[in-house]
Amino acid sequence: MMPQIIEADKKMVLVCCGTGCLANGSMEVYQELQQQLANSNVNVSTYTKATGCNGWCEKGPLVKIMPDDITYCQVAAKDVAEVIAKTIGKGELINRLLYRDPKTKQRVKSHHQIDFYKKQHKVALRNIGEIDPASIEDYISRDGYQALNKVLHTMGPGQVVEEVIRSGLRGRGGGGFPTGQKWKACTDVEASVRYIICNGDEGDPGAFMDRSIMEGDPHTVIEGMIIGAYAVEATAGFIYVRDEYSLAVKNLGIAIQDARQKGFLGENILGSRLSFDIEIVRGGGAFVCGEETALMASIEGNVGEPRDKYVYPTEKGLWGQPTVINNVETWANLPVIINDGAEAWASIGTEGSKGTKVFSLVGKVINTGLVEVPMGTTLREIIYEIGGGILNKRKFKAVQTGGPSGGCIPAEMLDMPVDFDSLTEAGSMMGSGGLIVMDDRTCMVEIARYYVNFLAGESCGKCTPCREGLKAMLEILSNFCQGKGSDADLQFLMDTSETMQMMSLCALGRTAANPVLSTLRYFKDEYLAHIHEQHCPAGVCRDLTEFYIDPEPCTGCGLCAQHCPVEAISGEKKEAHVIDQAICIRCGECRNQCKFDAVMIR
Amino acid sequence: MKIMIDQQVLEVNPGVTILEAARQHGIHIPTLCYHEAFGGQGMCRMCMVEVRTSHSRKVVAACTYPVQSGIEVQTSTPEIEKGRRTIVALLYRNAPDSGFMQKLYTDYDCLENGLAVNNGERCILCRLCVRACEEIGSSAISAVLRGTEKRIGTPFDEASAVCIGCAACANICPTEAIAVEQTDQDRTIWNRTFTMVQCRSCGRSFATREQLDYISQKTGLAGLDLEVCDLCRKKKLAAKIEQFAR
Repeated sequence: MMPQIIEADKKMVLVCCGTGCLANGSMEVYQELQQQLANSNVNVSTYTKATGCNGWCEKGPLVKIMPDDITYCQVAAKDVAEVIAKTIGKGELINRLLYRDPKTKQRVKSHHQIDFYKKQHKVALRNIGEIDPASIEDYISRDGYQALNKVLHTMGPGQVVEEVIRSGLRGRGGGGFPTGQKWKACTDVEASVRYIICNGDEGDPGAFMDRSIMEGDPHTVIEGMIIGAYAVEATAGFIYVRDEYSLAVKNLGIAIQDARQKGFLGENILGSRLSFDIEIVRGGGAFVCGEETALMASIEGNVGEPRDKYVYPTEKGLWGQPTVINNVETWANLPVIINDGAEAWASIGTEGSKGTKVFSLVGKVINTGLVEVPMGTTLREIIYEIGGGILNKRKFKAVQTGGPSGGCIPAEMLDMPVDFDSLTEAGSMMGSGGLIVMDDRTCMVEIARYYVNFLAGESCGKCTPCREGLKAMLEILSNFCQGKGSDADLQFLMDTSETMQMMSLCALGRTAANPVLSTLRYFKDEYLAHIHEQHCPAGVCRDLTEFYIDPEPCTGCGLCAQHCPVEAISGEKKEAHVIDQAICIRCGECRNQCKFDAVMIR
Repeated sequence: MKIMIDQQVLEVNPGVTILEAARQHGIHIPTLCYHEAFGGQGMCRMCMVEVRTSHSRKVVAACTYPVQSGIEVQTSTPEIEKGRRTIVALLYRNAPDSGFMQKLYTDYDCLENGLAVNNGERCILCRLCVRACEEIGSSAISAVLRGTEKRIGTPFDEASAVCIGCAACANICPTEAIAVEQTDQDRTIWNRTFTMVQCRSCGRSFATREQLDYISQKTGLAGLDLEVCDLCRKKKLAAKIEQFAR
C-alpha cells in the first residue's frame, strides 16, 4: 500500500477538480468547502485538496473524505454546509449523496466498493485523485522522485535501459513499440546531444487519458522523463502538449518549476553527473502532430508533416539528433517500474502486453470515464462490469477502439482480451486507448463516414494515398449514406483502403482505412442494405429512413410528441399518435424516447 | 556495397536511396514528386518498391529509403502495381485536363470508377513547384492548409512580396497547373504582374526585372551584365571557344 498522507486526527477532504468535474461546478464546491471550513465551529481539524480527475466523470463533482473513506457523488455547492455539519462534524453519512448501486439498489459508502473501481488496477493513474497536482510535496509523500533517486545513485544508465527492456513495457501512444528497445537504439548511436520528448498531443475524439495524467499527476511524467534522460544520457527534454489543454499546460508548468527548485531538474541533479531540463512546447491542435516525426517538425518550427521513418528518430530525430519520444502514459509508468522492479511491474498483463492500460470509456455506456485495467482484461469486463452495461438497456452493437483510425469490434468478439496484438488481429488497434461504445441504433456506414470525415480534415495532406484516398472514401461513403452507390464503388473503396494501408507515408495514413475495413469486415450487410435496398437498418441515415408509429403498441402517452423538435407528431391522449412525414426531419428523437417501442422505421 | 534490384546484383555507394541506385543503373521506377535536383520527397508514393532483407519484407518509398548492404529490391509486384494504379486513378480526379495525367491514366489502365472528376483542375500536389521555388526562386509559395484541403499557394493567396516572377514553378510543373500570362512587356503569375526585361543582344523578353535584381544580389554581378538572355550568352561563349580553338 502507498503511504497515505493523512496527518493523525485530521480529516482530509478531496474535491475532484478534473476537467469533467470542473465543468460541473467542482471549483465552487471546493471554494465553498474552504470558506465554510475556515469559519465553521465543527470540532474536527480538516484540510482540503483539489485533486486531478478520478475518472468517474459520469458522477462528478466527486468529494472524498478520508480517512473515513466516504465518496460523495454529484455534490453541489449548496450541499457543502450539510457535508460539514453532518459528515465531517458528526461522522454521519448523507445518503442522498452516496452512490446507489443499480443492481442492489443499496447506497454505497466508498468508491472502493463500486464496480466501476473494483475491477480497476491503477498504476499510471495511481496518484490521480489522491494528491494535489500543484503540490510537489504531495507527490513526494507518495514515493515521488524515489525512483529518480534510485537510478541516480544505485544504477548505471545501461542498467536502467536493461530494467525497462526486462519490464516488457510497450509504448502507450499507439504503436506499441517496446520502450526499452527504443532507448537502447538511441544509446547505440554516437552523439553529443540527445533529446527526450513526451508526446502529449492527444487528439482522438473522446479520449482524455493523457490529459488527465498531465493535469492530475504532472510530476510522474516529469520523473519518468528524467529517468529516461539518465538512461540515454539526454540533456534536454520537451513536453509537446496541445494548447487547448490549458489545465495540463498550467499544472505541468508549476510542476517543472517546483522540480527545478527541489533540484530534480537543472545542473547536476541530486548531486549526480546528470544535467537535464524540460521545456513545454504548446501545439496548435493538429491531430497529425501526434505522429512523432510530425511532432518533431512542429517543435522545430516547421509545418507538422511526417517524414518516412526509414531512419528512426532514435538515430536522427529532433534537429537531426538521436531522440527518444514516448507518450505521456508510458512516461507515467516508468517510476513504478523502477520503484517496484521490472518483474513486479510485469506480473500484471499478458505475455505480449505487460502492465495496465488506461482507457477512456465513452459512448452509449452507463459509467463513462477513465479506467485503468490490466492488459488482457476482456472488452466485456470493461464495458459491462466497469462500464455498467449499455445505456437505456439497449443492445450492444460494436465498440470502436484506437481512436479515429482504429476499428469497430462487434459483439461476437466481446470476450477478446484487450492487448496490443489481439486488437490488431481484429482489424483495430490499441491506439492511445479510446473505447467508444455503440448501441444497436448506430449505423456502421455512417460511423465509418464520420471517422473518415474527421481524418480527411486532419490528414496532413502530404502523401497521395492518405490525402486523395480519404477524399475519395468520404465521397463514396457519403453517397452510401444517401442510398447512392454501386458494387463498383464498394470495390474501389476496398482497393483504395488497401493502397492506403500499404503505401501511405505515416501511421495515420496506413491506419486511416481501418474504420472502413473493420466495418466492412463485420457489418458488410449494412453496406449492402444501403447500396442495394436504399435502406439504413439502424434507422440513422436520414435520406433512407422514415419513422412511423405502430398504433398497436402505442399507448398515446405523448412523450414522443413532447420531444419532437419540429412538432411533427400529433394525436389525442391515450390514442395512437401519427407522424406527419412532410414535417418530420428524421432525427429519431421520438424513437429514442418511446418506452413501448412503438416508433418504427421503414 | 552490393544490393540486388530486380534480380540484378548492383554495386552502389552507401548513402544513396534505392531510387538513385536504380537510376544510376538504368532501372526504371515510376515517380511523380521526384526530381534529381532536389532529392526524394516521399510524397507521391508511386515509387513504392518491395524490400527484402534476411528477416523482413516491406514496401517502402524508393526515393527516401537509404540502401543497405544485401537488400533485395523488387520494383514491381502485382500488389504494388495495383497500388500505383489506385494512386493514378485518385490523382487523375484532380487533373483530368492535364495531358500528362490523361496519359498516365491510360497507361495504368485505370478502371473507370464512378467518382466525380474535378474538371478544370490540374494540380497533383507533387510540390515540385515548391521545391523549385525554394532552390531557384525565393520560397514564395508553399503547400497551404491541411488534409484534403491542401493546395499550393502564396501566403493568404495574396500577391507575394518576395516572388521574383521567375516562373521556375510553372516550368517544372508536370501538369501545367500554374497559370502564367505573358506578353513581351509583362508576366503575371501568382496574382502579381512583373515587368519583362529584353535581351540587350537579341531583344527577346527573357526575364523579369525582379529576377535579374535577385540574381545580381545573390551573385554580386552588375545588373547590366545580366541583361543578356541565356541563348545569346551561349552564342557568345560558343564564339569565344571557336576563337580559342583556332
